[in-house]
Formats: sequence, structure tokens, C-alpha cells
Amino acid sequence: MIHLNNVRKFYGALEVIKGVDVTVDDGEFAVFVGPSGCGKSTLLRMIAGLEGIDSGDLVLNGTRINDVPPDKRGIAMVFQSYALYPHMTVAENIGFSLSLKKVAPAEIRRQVEEVAEILQLRELLDRRPGALSGGQRQRVAIGRAIIKKPSLILFDEPLSNLDSALRVQMRAELQRLHRELSATVVYVTHDQVEAMTMADKIVVLNQGTVAQAGPPMDLYHRPDNEFVATFIGSPKMNVLPVTMTREGSESIHLAGPLGMALTLADANAPLPDGAAKLGVRPEHLRVVAEEAAHFIAEVAIVERLGVETYLTVGSIDQPIVVRVEGDVTFRPGDRVPLAADPTACHIFSADGRILRSANAA
Amino acid sequence: MSVAPPGESANRLRGDLMAYATLSLISIFCAVPFFWLLIASFDGNAQLFLRWPETWTFANYLRVFAKEDGAKWLFNSLFVVGSATLLVMVLSGLGGYALSRTRAWWKLPFLYAILLIRVLPSTALIVPLYKFLLTLNNAESALLRPIFGSATRDIMRWTGFIDGYLGLILVLATMQLPLSLWIMKTFFDGLPRDYEEAALMDGATMIQRIRRVLVPLALPGLAASGLFAFMSAWGDFLLPLILLSSPELQTLPLGLFRAFLRINEIDYGLLTALAFIYLVPAVVAFGFARRFLVQTFSGGVKG
Ligand SMILES: Nc1ncnc2c1ncn2[C@@H]1O[C@H](COP(=O)(O)OP(=O)(O)O)[C@@H](O)[C@H]1O
Ligand SMILES: [Mg+2]
Repeated sequence: MIHLNNVRKFYGALEVIKGVDVTVDDGEFAVFVGPSGCGKSTLLRMIAGLEGIDSGDLVLNGTRINDVPPDKRGIAMVFQSYALYPHMTVAENIGFSLSLKKVAPAEIRRQVEEVAEILQLRELLDRRPGALSGGQRQRVAIGRAIIKKPSLILFDEPLSNLDSALRVQMRAELQRLHRELSATVVYVTHDQVEAMTMADKIVVLNQGTVAQAGPPMDLYHRPDNEFVATFIGSPKMNVLPVTMTREGSESIHLAGPLGMALTLADANAPLPDGAAKLGVRPEHLRVVAEEAAHFIAEVAIVERLGVETYLTVGSIDQPIVVRVEGDVTFRPGDRVPLAADPTACHIFSADGRILRSANAA
Repeated sequence: MSVAPPGESANRLRGDLMAYATLSLISIFCAVPFFWLLIASFDGNAQLFLRWPETWTFANYLRVFAKEDGAKWLFNSLFVVGSATLLVMVLSGLGGYALSRTRAWWKLPFLYAILLIRVLPSTALIVPLYKFLLTLNNAESALLRPIFGSATRDIMRWTGFIDGYLGLILVLATMQLPLSLWIMKTFFDGLPRDYEEAALMDGATMIQRIRRVLVPLALPGLAASGLFAFMSAWGDFLLPLILLSSPELQTLPLGLFRAFLRINEIDYGLLTALAFIYLVPAVVAFGFARRFLVQTFSGGVKG
């Protein structure tokens, strides 16, 4: 188990990690995800020991390891560039950490072959990295990590150098490995699809702070804030400025762009009047009969994927994406009546905090 | 396939012919001196003008090594230039690494400043340089003489700053260092830090990181910087001329120069043989350089 307690990092006067609290349990596949520059790599390198920790505690399996040198932490890391040594064979690359420890060559060979078996690298052991494909290099880099039998494996954007087909394949491969090794993994990516498909737990980072942490579907259905709501999920959640007006004790009225008008039930924890934001995912907007519509909008873009179709409606600076089942006949310029599923609406305050989650889970 | 009108293709042919003819003329013009050197050095009776030898002989080369001190000159040249090259490789390797990895504000000003050393003609600096070395030399001599007495001169032949190997090696290395530092700095810029950090996480000590990771990775860059230093220092003539006076310290270009200056007779056979010997290491170095240059300047290490 790895635990970060109020961890901070400064570069000069610039604070890049602003008090992060995260716990990753044994055997868990945790993904740190966030936009470029939010501090994911820095956080990972702090766990690895490649960057110092300015304040806070880093605790691995009950021991505070802030001041333990990188190689003594029992942590392995797979680098974005793989960092395979071009002057060594695959076998020498995988066995490098053992050879540094003066392990007997026969023993190194045995362990390297064991690892090569798991990663299906047997035939490649005598090749040099230059003669391998991207996916094979990736596997060698993983081999170099797991031969150390680490209690934690770190990955920094390991798939970003691969083409998209290979990326899908390696995603499955990494999940298989994670199951077989029952390793604890911290995986960094800027790609929320990678996070959603692989993670047991997602930690969304934004500008050096944890925006939210939890299982993928929790983040999807119950985001804590507008940032997580729009970051997780593809296409993005639509967020529209609305004005809320109370209508009696049981409901509240929302007025938004494009003449949008809808009424939500609002009894137990009443929402305040005034400016707010309505969050609704593309799949929770439906094309309806005109009299049932919350608003009517002009279609700007139609993206047909066969099984589903995405309509982008509204203006360029306030586009709204609608997911429609199947192949539809709408064309740009059509005016369509639309309605939001009232049980799937998120309400955020004007500064982006969640006021009410959707009650559909 | 596009078909050019007949007139145009004839024009192009004529243009090509002109270009090749001009290039051939220039090549011949450049190659003739080398050709003359080669055949005259095997000619028993070499003359100032290009001619086909009546008798082919090794006599000229024998004379270089038997009658003259050719072996000593060659050794001196190889030793001095080789040592300077080695020094440049070590210093530019370490310095280039430091310059690449540091974020210090003075990095760029420093890099441009050292390039100035390379741009300034060394001839212009020869007087202060000589004065400086002479002072160092006298100090060293004053220090060594009370200890070693009459053996001092023999020691100073190796460690002296004037008329000693050390001084010439240091000055030659200094002249070559700026360019080599630039080459190595650029090379290390292209070498991801991940390599070192991966080794660090694997538990490599500083020495192990240098020996097992950095040096093998930097080898193409080091070779390029070393070969540049070697080729440039090998061609230097002025510095050995000024800094060396003992006959036993003479280098090849000095030997060649002095043989040319002998007034009583000009021995073209000897001169061409010497010149040819002087050319060979430079050509060999160039042959090596080509291979590494492609590697170093076309994207560094792929792996
Ligand atoms: N060595 C450094 N010195 C100064 N600033 C840095 C350094 N490394 C990273 N940063 C800054 O810290 C922030 C986080 O960087 P990083 O962790 O690499 O982001 P990410 O991996 O999420 O894209 C960025 O704003 C980056 O510019
Ligand atoms: Mg990063």
C-alpha cells in the first residue's frame, strides 16, 4: 500500500504539487490522469525518488520513504521513452539491475528467462532494442521493471509513443499482466480513455491538486466538480450557464441558452436561486416531440458512427453535443427539439463545485 | 511518366554536361597535388614537376626513417596530437554533459564565449601565450632543479611548458576544446535523461552510471569530437614551431618544413615521402569520422 500525505513540491517559488493526499491499496491499478502540465510526472517521480519531496509524507507499506534512495524503495518505473540501452541486448537490458548487484550470471539468465516467458520475449533475448518494434520495446521495458520484483510499478505515459491500434492492444496486455502479477501499479496518463478502461482507481489531478479520486464509474456518475465532470467521459459533458429560480417548495426552474427552460424536482436539500451551471452528458439529451422540448437548437455538425450518431447543436462558442441511437437522418441546418433527462442533470455552482449530482447511477 | 519536349531535354543534357565538365576540371585541379605526392614519393629521382617515375623505389621512405629522424617526428606528432585528443575527449565528455544538464543562467553566454577562442586566430595570441608559458616553465624549472639537479632537463622534456610535450599538448587541447564541448553538449542534449534515471532506479552508482550507461551511449559523440580535435590539431604547424626547439621534440610538419628549407639541395623524393606519411593519419581519421559523423549528426542514439 502506498500513501501520500499532504505532499508538496516547489520548483523555485513555483508550487507544482500543492498538498496531494492519495492512497493506493495493494494489488490496485491506480491511474493518475490530468491535462498536460498538471504535475502527474512530477508526482510519479517523487514516488520513484527521482525528485525530492518538499513537505508531507510518502509511506510505502507502513514505512516513511521520503529519504530512502530510489533503488532501495522497492519501486520500479517504466519510462515514457522506455530508456532501453541501445548498446545492450534485450537480455542484458532486462538483467541490468541484477548485474549491478553482482548476481551470478547463471542466476541472472534464469530470472531473465522467467520474465521473458511472462512477456513473450523468449525469441528476442539476443536482439538489440534498435531491432524491436514499439510494442516489443514496451514489453522489454516492463521486463526490466518486473525482474526487480517491486512492490510497486510506476508507468509514465507508457503508451504515448505507440500508434492507436497498438495502444488498444497494449492496454489489454497491461491489464493481463497486472492480473497475473497481482502487482500494485501507479500509471500516469493524460488520456482519460486509458484511465477509464484500465483503472481500479482514478486520481484526477488539476494544477497540482487532486480534483477527485475514486473508481472510474463513481467519477463518471458523481463528479465532485466541473473539472472532473468535463474531463472524464468522451464526448465531454455539456456544461451550460443557467439561472435557477425556485418554484414553490418542491421544484426549481432552470433557464439557459437557446431558450432552454426545464424544471427539476428539488425538495430535500434545496438549491439556491441565482447563477449556476447545468451539466448533462450527451447520452442524457434526447430528440423529442416539439411540445416536450426543453429547448430547440440548430444542428451544426453530424458525426455518424453507425451504431450511434453525435449531433453538435447550438452556436460555436456554446456547442452542445447530443448522442442519438443508430443512424439518423438529421442534417446540418435542421432545427431539432431537445430534452434533458431530469434525473441525469448535474448542477454546479458558478465556480464549478458540485451542488447536486445526477440521481441516476 | 512526364515527357519533356525534345528541345528542353537537349538543353538539360547540355547543362548537365557543362556541370560535369566543370566539376571534373575542379576535381582534377584539386587531386593533382596528391597524385604528384604519391608518385613522386616512389620516384628514385623525383623532380619539381609531375612525371611518371622511371624506377619505382622505396628509397625515399627508407631515407625518411634511416637517414633522417622520421620515426621520431612521427612518434612526436602522434604522441602530442594523440594525447591532446584524448584530453579533449575526456574534458569535452565531462564538460559537455555538465553543460547539457545544467540550468545555470550563464550556460549560453559561456558557450558563445568559448567559441570565441576558436574564432580568434591563435597567431594573434602567440606572444602573450608564449610569455605565459615561459613564466610557467621557469617556475617549474626553479621548482624541479633543486630536487633533480642535472636530470631536470630530461624531466622537463616531458613536463615542460616550453620545449616540452606537456605545454604543446595543453595548448593544442585548449584550441580544440570549444568545438568539442559544443559537439558533446549538443549530443547530450539529444540523449534523454531517462537513461540515467533508469540506471539510478536500478541501483547503479555514479561510477557504474558513467561506465556502463553514459560512456557507451556517448561513444558516437565522443568519437566525433575526438576526430575533429585530432584532424585539426594534426594540421597545426605554428604552435609546435613556436613552442618546440629541441631536435628530439620535432614533429612531422616541422621536420617537413626544415627539410624544405635546406638551402644546398631540395630533395623532392624525401619531401614527398614525408608529406605522404604526414597525410596518412589525417585520411585514416577522416575515414573513421565519416561513419561516426552520420550517427552523431543525424539524430543521436536511437534505442
Ligand atoms: N525541473 C523543473 N523545473 C521547473 N519546473 C518544472 C520542472 N519540471 C516540471 N516543471 C513544471 O512543473 C509542472 C508539472 O510538470 P509535469 O509533472 O511534467 O506535468 P505533466 O507530467 O502532468 O505533464 C509544469 O508546469 C512544468 O513546467
Ligand atoms: Mg508528464
